[in-house]
Amino acid sequence: MECCIFKTALVVYCISTAVFAVSMLAKRVALAKLAAAALGFAVLLHTVFILWHWAVSGISPVVNIYEALSFVAWAVSGSYLVFQAKTKTSVLGAFVSPPVLLLMIAASAGIAGPGEIDSSLETYWVTVHVIFTLTGTAFFALACCAALMYLVQDRLIRKRKVSDFIRLLPSLGDLDKINHVSVVWGFLLLTVGIVSGSFWARTAWGEHLLWDAKQVATLAAWVLCALLLHQRLAIGWKGKRAAYLSIGAFIILLFSFVGVNMFFPTVHRF
Amino acid sequence: MNIVLLGMNHKSAPLELRERLTIACGEEEQTVDHVKNLPQVKEALYLATCNRVEVLAAVDDPDSAVEQLKDFIVTHGNLPLDDMEACIYRYRDEEAVRHLFRVASSLDSMVMGEPQILGQVKDAYRASVERKATGVLLNRLLHHAFRVAKRVRTETGISSNAVSVGYTAVTLAKKIMGHLAGKTVLIVGAGEMAELVTRHLVKNGVESIIVANRTVENARTIAESFDGRVVGFESLPGAVGEADIIITSTGASGYVIDRGMIAGALRRRRNRLLFMIDIAVPRDIDPAAAAMDNVYLYNIDDLQSVVDENLQTRLVEAEQAGRIIEDEVENFERWRHSLAVVPAIVDLRQKVESITRREFDRCGGWMDTLNEEDRQNVEGLVNGIINKILHEPVTGLKEVCEDGGAEEYVAALRRLFGLEDDFRR
Repeated sequence: MECCIFKTALVVYCISTAVFAVSMLAKRVALAKLAAAALGFAVLLHTVFILWHWAVSGISPVVNIYEALSFVAWAVSGSYLVFQAKTKTSVLGAFVSPPVLLLMIAASAGIAGPGEIDSSLETYWVTVHVIFTLTGTAFFALACCAALMYLVQDRLIRKRKVSDFIRLLPSLGDLDKINHVSVVWGFLLLTVGIVSGSFWARTAWGEHLLWDAKQVATLAAWVLCALLLHQRLAIGWKGKRAAYLSIGAFIILLFSFVGVNMFFPTVHRF
Repeated sequence: MNIVLLGMNHKSAPLELRERLTIACGEEEQTVDHVKNLPQVKEALYLATCNRVEVLAAVDDPDSAVEQLKDFIVTHGNLPLDDMEACIYRYRDEEAVRHLFRVASSLDSMVMGEPQILGQVKDAYRASVERKATGVLLNRLLHHAFRVAKRVRTETGISSNAVSVGYTAVTLAKKIMGHLAGKTVLIVGAGEMAELVTRHLVKNGVESIIVANRTVENARTIAESFDGRVVGFESLPGAVGEADIIITSTGASGYVIDRGMIAGALRRRRNRLLFMIDIAVPRDIDPAAAAMDNVYLYNIDDLQSVVDENLQTRLVEAEQAGRIIEDEVENFERWRHSLAVVPAIVDLRQKVESITRREFDRCGGWMDTLNEEDRQNVEGLVNGIINKILHEPVTGLKEVCEDGGAEEYVAALRRLFGLEDDFRR
């Protein structure tokens, strides 16, 4: 049953992505709204799946890399929908839905019933650490999407050839705002995630900072993000520079999330 | 009944002719009355805008009606006949329907896709309705035209792109800043085009206006019309820092706003996005500013090329709109043809009913011997048989007539059932 819900959600994500793609090709905003509605339905199914999973496992809905991928996909699309409701920029979904779909496909490779869990990980600190870090990552993903769209729209407007895409994409002002708000939220959540992780590291290994590769990469992203926020607030950085920096922060986070385990020894299961 | 449409537009007639006609016709209501009073005309609508004068009428005999309407236009407008012949277009039935649909959908407008024409057609219709000049045919036709116009607007991109410099500026400004509420516009130099663009921006939410000019007097007139404030050229750097949108149109030979001034302003405005429109020739703003972050610079040629491109897009969209209109013309014509059989069917029913009544009267004596219930049964039986027999020819006739060719069938029906005029009395 659980698996069935997950697969249905996956299919609906797929439909939503396809409709978004068509809306971009046909340059029709009405289609994008339809796609956003489909995305909403997918997120609903996905939420049911995650809660169910949580109830069955009893500890945490996220105990392995596949579940983590699925959780990030959920957090990205969920937070996107909140933005969409606030800013009425359903076209942003065309940029958000493909990575979400990829995450879901990757997650579907190994998602199964309740996974086993080491007794050392059976603590709320870990649950908090994982959920906050992943949701933070999701917000950075959103910021990155908005930043990419900003760069595209900026280039289009500078080309001084008004195409239908200019009309379709949200305004620079809105995109910059979405980017900023996502970065602020991502930063806050990531901070909680890092702090809770380090507390637990202290109880488990006796040190806050283990110089673990994943810790270092995540801290680097956090510092970059802190720098971005400082520049924005102190000297009013806007637009392209902020976009580039938030893309950079997300790439480091992404590497830390999926790349580190492949190349470096780490205490993190994922 | 047939539909005829006579008129002239910006393509068929020179401005002077249209002008004379519009003036001569004066108030729409009067003209509608005049047209309605022509002997052939049953229903009438008169549409006059700056680019067209048209008369639409429902008539019984289209040939003579067209002549009457033409004479009416010529005499009414006090125009020389020779000039007019070439300028007036005449459409009948399907062509007239198609033309009206095209006009209402703004396919026939000078600036294709402009939204005002639909409102003007609605006004003309309202005037006609008020003078009681419309009936079944025109009511249905006009409502159908409004529906078609709506369909064209929503299903094609014909009116979605800006085709004036002012509107293009607004679209771009919105795509840069998101919304224009609370934004500030700085006008440098007192040009007519700058004023026009500003008017568009104000209509879309821009709130404060600053006017900078070398001679403060000229600036004051513009500033007053927008409720704005005037600054001298010496305080231009400060004003540039305040504004979100800058429109320049001075006659200066050098750059009025250079890179340095913009860089300083950006620092002061903490990099808030700046949209600059340089309408002046020679240019007022250093073109190198276009490469700066958070600054978007368009000159008059850029805006004009956007407008030209959008006009091209509209032509493509117009093809799709044309297909929608063909579709709808067919729908309407089907309805109109089916209208032709209605009188014949009514006559047929009346005739059958009168026969039944006569036959019952003839059997009066015998019927009286029956009790109430039996009498009702007999009447029910007779009516049932009549309805069953009439059902198929009537529905069949309606179907056949929807595809055109009503006249032959109607004539045959009248002939076969003896529904000639003597019957109608």
